[in-house]
Order: sequence, then structure tokens, then C-alpha cells
Amino acid sequence: MKGRWDLKRLVFNLSSLVELGQEVTSSKGINEKMKTTLHVVTGMFSVPRAALLVYNSTRSSLEVLTYKGIRGMDGTRVYIKAKHIKTFKKNEPCSINEIKNNSFYEDNHDAFKRLQTKTFIPLFAKDEFVGAISLGNRLSRKSYLQSERDALKVIANQMSIALHNSNLFKKLTNKVTENKRLYENMRRIYHDTIQAFAAAIDAKDVYTKNHSYRVARYAVAIARELGWGEKDVEGIYVAGLLHDIGKIILDRGVINKGEELTIMEITEIRKHPQISYDILSKIKFPWKDVVDFVRHHHERVDGKGYPDSLMEADLSDGVKILALADAFDAMTTDRPYRRKLHLLEALREVRKCLGTQFDGRISRVFFRVLQKEIKGEVREAQIIPHLDKDFDPTIITTLLEGITAELSA
Amino acid sequence: MNNFSISLKAAKDVVVIMPRGYVNDLGAERLEHTCEQYFDKGLKKIVINFSDMQHINSIGASVLTDIVQKTAEHRGYLCFTNMKKVHLDVFEMLGITKHVRVFKEEKDALSFLKDIG
Ligand SMILES: [Fe+2]
Repeated sequence: MKGRWDLKRLVFNLSSLVELGQEVTSSKGINEKMKTTLHVVTGMFSVPRAALLVYNSTRSSLEVLTYKGIRGMDGTRVYIKAKHIKTFKKNEPCSINEIKNNSFYEDNHDAFKRLQTKTFIPLFAKDEFVGAISLGNRLSRKSYLQSERDALKVIANQMSIALHNSNLFKKLTNKVTENKRLYENMRRIYHDTIQAFAAAIDAKDVYTKNHSYRVARYAVAIARELGWGEKDVEGIYVAGLLHDIGKIILDRGVINKGEELTIMEITEIRKHPQISYDILSKIKFPWKDVVDFVRHHHERVDGKGYPDSLMEADLSDGVKILALADAFDAMTTDRPYRRKLHLLEALREVRKCLGTQFDGRISRVFFRVLQKEIKGEVREAQIIPHLDKDFDPTIITTLLEGITAELSA
Repeated sequence: MNNFSISLKAAKDVVVIMPRGYVNDLGAERLEHTCEQYFDKGLKKIVINFSDMQHINSIGASVLTDIVQKTAEHRGYLCFTNMKKVHLDVFEMLGITKHVRVFKEEKDALSFLKDIG
């Protein structure tokens, strides 16, 4: 039951953060944007009272920009000195009790009382102090869990960027650079958000630490080599990060079990792509096909995969990429039931399963990009940095050249 | 995104609020102010009927936490009715249900409220 509960919380938070991403990058004015953002935060954590304050460096004070649940906050000011700003941890939530002995708190005792601050989050855009979030008591009266603090940090990052980019801080605006910047921010925001959730998924499974992250990277490498556009590449990256989200509701004992699994347990584990799909189809992603890739990441070209036993012709390139990236990472990392394979063995294994588990064309692209990475021919290597360094580049290159020659014959 | 609207029925000392559609920031504020006005008038019994609400997003949850808080301060009664399972799950998760009375139908809430001062 606990697992299901965590999952509900996770899905709610993930949807909220995706919504938040859309808000922050929308074309609304900063006041409206921040108001909505504040609502998203307070809704996520059931905080009836909150305020967003913006830093005014000429007056050395934080001024209320927007608030909810408290009346008559306009004009409320929190005085702050440079020495205090230096002590803040960037974008990290801090309990008001932690700063009670601080002169910063003492100077502003009344303001904090009016704001009913219980948690204070200083906002920094890179190194520049731009403002703060004040959160009141939570309705649930619970303190923040580590995962919630992480989510708050992601949100604080987003809000600080939006604030920093607003006219409150910028003197000159150029429409073109502005749009470009917004787009860049949107990308970063989505990635931060989704990465935070991928970490939560991987935490469930001791053996797959960073599995989602590596799968996402490998999939990106293949998709780029295949000539995909950046927007589609982003989509597969996100699909890689979230493909195993359904595992969150599976029993941890089953996932990490060392011995052979029973038929019941196998059936249970095989539900995860479907569960991932059910979860993610509730979220409005800005990329198409994310849910399709996720649902089918355990399909095989010979139709013996699951959950839909699709045949090669019914599998999209994205599905084939994700299936290969996932299996390759599973081969090259330790699993509860077996030791990891050496890179050489893993590549031979992929070769052996061409036409049954993996698609030939996609695998060729994978071998090619791996070769390029070993030779240092790509700008940013996505695969090699995550592999064990105990392989001989010449041997691997020879093997890859051999396979490629054999396949094109 | 479909628009948000609220319809209101006030009968004697009870007000029934029916939110409809997707709660955006403006809708959120309207809902908040509506409740505030009733409290200011001295009304203490509020029923929120969720039958026309599909999805509760975080903005919706935010407004509801606020209403819960205000009801508590005014020592009022807040009832939620006609909720779907998904709504109930979200509210439970957020700790909202501990502070409200949940009824299956609006009429159940009304008859409960009739019996109290
Ligand atoms: Fe999987």
C-alpha cells in the first residue's frame, strides 16, 4: 500500500512540475506567472500560506511580489544585508528555526510573523540573489521529506530563472535573444524536473543506480547518429529517464531478488511497461511518442517481447532504440541474478541477438556511434563515459569493424 | 484548456459551491474570494460539490488548502461531496481530508449541516 501511495504522490508532483514548466515558460507577465507558480508549489505541498519576495538591491530588501492565503501583504518588506545573503544555501529550503538566532531573523521579526514564514527558500539565478519564497505551515503538519526538499529545489531553480529573466531584473530586452533564452530555460527546466524523478525511480532498485540516466544517454547517442532533430532527441531522452517509472509500485523485494524468480514474480515484473505507460499518459508532455517508447521498451523484433508482442514492422525507431539502450545497460551492469558482462562480451551478445531481440539497422547505428566515440570523433560522448574503463580500444574497434563489415556484406 | 467557472447556491446559512472545469490561476482566485466573502458575511457552512470537476491539479489543491485553513480560522464547517476516487486520493495524500467532512452526495452534507447550530 505504501508503494501505491508514494506513486500517487510522485505522479501528482511530476504532473505539477510539468505544469509548472509550462507556466514558467509561458508568455504571461511576471506577476501572473509567479502567482500561478506559487499556487503550484503550495498545492504540491499543501501549504495554505505563502509569498514570493523579490530582491531590491538598492533598498537592500526583499519585497512581496505575490502571495496567497494571507491578506494585505502588499508593501511588506524584509530587510537583508549582503553578509546574510552570503550565508544562504542557494535555492535550498531552510526551516525558519534554523535562522532564529540570526540577526537577519531578528531584524525582520514582524515581517516574518505577518508572512507566517515556516520555511524560507533563498532564490539564486546562478550566483545572483534574486528573491525568496516564504512558505507557511503545511496542512499535513509534516516536515519535508528529502524527496520533497529535492523537488522544492528544482522549483526554486525554475522560479529564480523566471525572476531573473523578468523585466524586474533586466534593463534591456531583445525579443530574439529573449525567445531563445526562454526556450533554453524550458529545456533546462524539463530536464531538471524529469531528472529528479528518474533519480526517485532508480532509488527503488539498488542494482540499477543511474540506470535510467544511462539508458537516456545511450538512446540520445543512437538517435543523434540516426539524424534525429533535437526536439525528437529530447523526447527519447525523457522516455529513457522515465521508462521504468512503473517499477516504483512493484515490490522492492522482487526487483532486487537474487535467486531465480517464480512465474508469479516474472508476471509481476513484466507489468512495469504497462504501468509506466498508464502513469505517463496522464501527463501532458511537450514531446510526442514518449508514452509509446516507454510502453514498448521490452518488445522484440521477433514478436516475443511484452506487453503487446508487437512484430518488427509495428515497432517505431524510437522503441527499437530504447529497447537496445535498455538491454545494453542491463548487460554492462551488475544485476541481482548475474555479474555484468565485459564490453566485448556485451557487444557479441547484441550481435547474437540481431533480428530476434534487436533491430539490425538500429544496432548498426549503435555500433557506428560507439566506434566514433572510441576514436574521439564525436563532440560529446554519451556512451563511453559510463562504461568500465577496462577495455582495450583497439580490440573493441576491431570487433566493431568486423561486425559492421559482416552486416553490410 | 477549458475554462473554469463556479456556480453558487446559497440557502439560509449554507453555501454550496460547484467548481467546473480546469482550475487556472484566475479561477483559483475567484474561488478563494467567494469563500472569503461568505466568511466575512458570517456564514460558516460551506459545501463544495465536485461533480463537475474532472481533474484536480496543484493549483486547485492550493486553493482548497487555503479554504480549509480559512474555515478552521472561522470555526466553520467545510464539506466535500460528489468526489471521484482520484479526487479523494489527491486530497488524502495532501492531508486535506483530515480537515473536512466528506459526503457521498450533496444532500447528505446539507442534512448534516441542518442538524448543527
Ligand atoms: Fe524496463
